[in-house]
Amino acid sequence: MAEQAQIYDVIMVGAGPAALAAAVYTTREDIETLLIEKGAVGGLAAITDWVDNYPGFAKGISGLDLAAQLEGQAERFGAKIKLGEVQKISTDGDLKRVTTNDGDLLAKTVLIATGTDYKKLGIPGEQELYGRGVHYCATCDGAFYRDKRLVVVGGGNSAVQEALFLTKFASHIDMLVRSDVRASEILQHELAKNAKITVHLNTSTEGIIGENNKVVKVLGTKDGQKTEFETDGVFVFIGLKPNTVFLSDSPQIELDEVGFVRSDANLQTTMPGVFVAGDVRSGATMQIAAAVGEGATAALRVREYLEHLERHSTEASHYVADQA
Amino acid sequence: MAKTITIYTTNTCAYCVMVKKWLKSKGLGYQEVNLEEHPERQAEMMQLSGQMAVPVTVVADKDSDYLNITVGWNPAKLASAVADMPVASAA
Repeated sequence: MAEQAQIYDVIMVGAGPAALAAAVYTTREDIETLLIEKGAVGGLAAITDWVDNYPGFAKGISGLDLAAQLEGQAERFGAKIKLGEVQKISTDGDLKRVTTNDGDLLAKTVLIATGTDYKKLGIPGEQELYGRGVHYCATCDGAFYRDKRLVVVGGGNSAVQEALFLTKFASHIDMLVRSDVRASEILQHELAKNAKITVHLNTSTEGIIGENNKVVKVLGTKDGQKTEFETDGVFVFIGLKPNTVFLSDSPQIELDEVGFVRSDANLQTTMPGVFVAGDVRSGATMQIAAAVGEGATAALRVREYLEHLERHSTEASHYVADQA
Repeated sequence: MAKTITIYTTNTCAYCVMVKKWLKSKGLGYQEVNLEEHPERQAEMMQLSGQMAVPVTVVADKDSDYLNITVGWNPAKLASAVADMPVASAA
């Protein structure tokens, strides 16, 4: 059942950079805005140790500080953030019904901005030793490995960035990269300069071994030869998966073959009145700056949709966004 | 009713921020143990939770000595742990 009669102008699913940027725009237009977040406000940006490529911060900024700034700015204009989990989005006449773990909410429009999460390896030992040497958040748990040996799995921007962060604590890091390092040039230069990190290319990660409930070694294959890496812990950064499981009961919202949300050029999904922005959008570039830009664009599309609803309250399904 | 809340954190842990924010939103006080400032207490946290991961939230019932331990940012479990606590309780 719906909670009382409150109808939000827009409910944003997620409270990462895309949604927080969108909320700055919508709230400044007096558009009643609710964000629903199940993880960390600020999303993956909040658990990134340092952000050097977000324009406007000449010296860079920590992910946690950037998240706090984005949140504070959105809240300054009246955005409300609710902690909870969205389970379904459906239509209810001209409205959208957002089913959460805490009841149903109604809105005129919805913005999906749930972002992505780190993939798991899916190898023996990973799940069993989670929190006992297997980690996915360097900024959270890196401090437990002062003067210890670590393995970092992955070769993209996140893996290199977080491996560099972990050298603040660890005595040595073996970085296991399935093929080649695919990080930005500047990160690759930093990596090459760092004497604490040994990069192992063409190395697959196949198992994690524990003793006394703690990680002691990682099994892999390097250049076709079985190999082992003694370690005190493993941090995994092997790519991103879209946070769209909650849409499995919302078939009107089409996903691509990998699970990202499809949209048109106006960031509208296949359910009219439901928009998408940020990393979870099919075709997204996985950059905080891009997510923020998409959030601002989506907010303008939301405003246009709301204006359209006011003008043609029964014709929402025929909405075509005005070209800005 | 004699429950206290202790959170084990690290400096840059976003999920620790979420737990603290959630407790504040409920008007609940807590004691924070920053394990980077107090590394000597890491073993205590690991013994309590069985893990080397933060945040760890310990809701201690002094009457029964029962410890309710939540690893990570899990609002549903936290809500259950503090369900019968009065708001604005002392840490």
